[in-house]
Amino acid sequence: MTTTAEHADAAVAAVPGGARPRRRSWRRLGTGAGALALALAIWEVAALVIGDAVTLPTVTETADTFATYLTKPYPEVQGKTLLEDALISTGRILAGFLLGTAAGLLLGAAMAGVRVVRELADPIIGVMRPLPPIAFIPLLVVWFGIGETSKIALIFFGVLPIVTVATLGALDAVPPDLLNASRSLGASPFHTMLHVRLRAAVPGVITGMRIAMGGAWTAIIAAEMIAATGGVGFLILQAGNYLQTPLIFSGIAEIAVLGFAFDGLLRLLLRLADPTVRR
Amino acid sequence: MSAVAAEPAVTDRPTGVRLRDVRKTFSRRRRPGRPALDGVSLDVEPGEFLCLLGPSGCGKSTLLNILAGFTRADSGEVLVGGEPVTGPGHERGVLFQTPNLFPWLTTWQNVLYGPKARGALTPRVREEAAELLETVGLADARDAYPHELSGGMRHRAAFARVLINRPGVLLMDEPFGALDAITRANMQRFLLELWQRHRTTIVFVTHDVEEAALLGDRVAVLSAPPGGTKAVIDIDLPRPRSYEDTDTLAFVNAKRGIREVLER
Repeated sequence: MTTTAEHADAAVAAVPGGARPRRRSWRRLGTGAGALALALAIWEVAALVIGDAVTLPTVTETADTFATYLTKPYPEVQGKTLLEDALISTGRILAGFLLGTAAGLLLGAAMAGVRVVRELADPIIGVMRPLPPIAFIPLLVVWFGIGETSKIALIFFGVLPIVTVATLGALDAVPPDLLNASRSLGASPFHTMLHVRLRAAVPGVITGMRIAMGGAWTAIIAAEMIAATGGVGFLILQAGNYLQTPLIFSGIAEIAVLGFAFDGLLRLLLRLADPTVRR
Repeated sequence: MSAVAAEPAVTDRPTGVRLRDVRKTFSRRRRPGRPALDGVSLDVEPGEFLCLLGPSGCGKSTLLNILAGFTRADSGEVLVGGEPVTGPGHERGVLFQTPNLFPWLTTWQNVLYGPKARGALTPRVREEAAELLETVGLADARDAYPHELSGGMRHRAAFARVLINRPGVLLMDEPFGALDAITRANMQRFLLELWQRHRTTIVFVTHDVEEAALLGDRVAVLSAPPGGTKAVIDIDLPRPRSYEDTDTLAFVNAKRGIREVLER
């Protein structure tokens, strides 16, 4: 068998990977770290100029406080360590986020597949989506108290509409000819549904999950500030009440790290699911 | 269904196509539907290369979708290889205007998609897939994803993905319509060489007179909507043809013949 297309556009080499992209990604990582270091340096200089730890503590002071309270409870009576607060908030986020994502996936898929479900759910989602979840905090406290249920419910109702809309949009956006191609290659309708329609929607769903994750952190911190006895939001509010600015910054830094870590996980998931974003 | 593996390498059994008085009307809400096909009758011999030519909106894509089994005709007879068409099937290979590769699969996985989905993936099929990638010039791009390929390479990958199923007939819907002129000429050359070596039945939809004259044994000209067969023209140019034939007087005459029917 000879090559009929050797003269076509064989010059366009399609071998991925290689040394150049890798070096570029290292360089990008270095630039990012440099930018963060620069921001910290500006903060340090500004703190030294102001010279008042309540208005703006230095970076070193904040780092000291962070290290101390990582294992030391605050407030000292009935308080929790930074580590415990982080675990409490993370647990609430995870529970609400996973439940909300699962429900959103099911609802979105049902809306994409069954017209009646779409017509019923569309207006409800449309009304719910622009509502800020934190508006429901007092209501959820009345219903479920200040325990875990109200926090998880808050995250759930924040995540649900976002993931639903993302799932529906992603499923609707699958080109019909991609399904036709699968069918004409011999795949059954069920196989096509599973391996093409749902598979093609995965990147869009993950993007929706990333947006929902950002909203979930906003909601949980607000809820912990209004009605809670633990969690990073509770800690920040307590520290603010006692003008413990270094501890406020410690709490904020904790949220930054956790938020970055969760988004990183979702980005990793997206890279696994969608080869076009691998760079 | 899984007789694929039992056959010797690259023997296609071309199948014929028979259309009798095929009608299709697209219904619209509260308004009378727009007829897309108004009684099309057509025969395609096994191993023949037939081009469907017509102005846009004349229903040539609809006709191809009916043959592929994506849409159903309202009435009339649609037979491929003597069997009535009831739905999509791998014995009718479809090539679309865009390659429609699965973006999350590599070239290799895309080619093996059909056999895998049917549970017909054998070592023999894998061997054949490797040979096919060689034929379409993508042996080096085996592990590349579709977005890493050029436009022409994606189309050739789509070819390999369809040919692994050994379809009796290839249905092509303006497959090179979205390509630039140079890549398009390369793909036409590629298709001519491929078809001249493995004679399979091809129904090729196009709105390009030159493309129809270069590729087809016969050109079926459809009339403006609602589409019906206006005329079927024999292209008497000798085989094997090559892309360079487009410069000959005989070719220009064949083109003029088609254009006259088209403008009638």
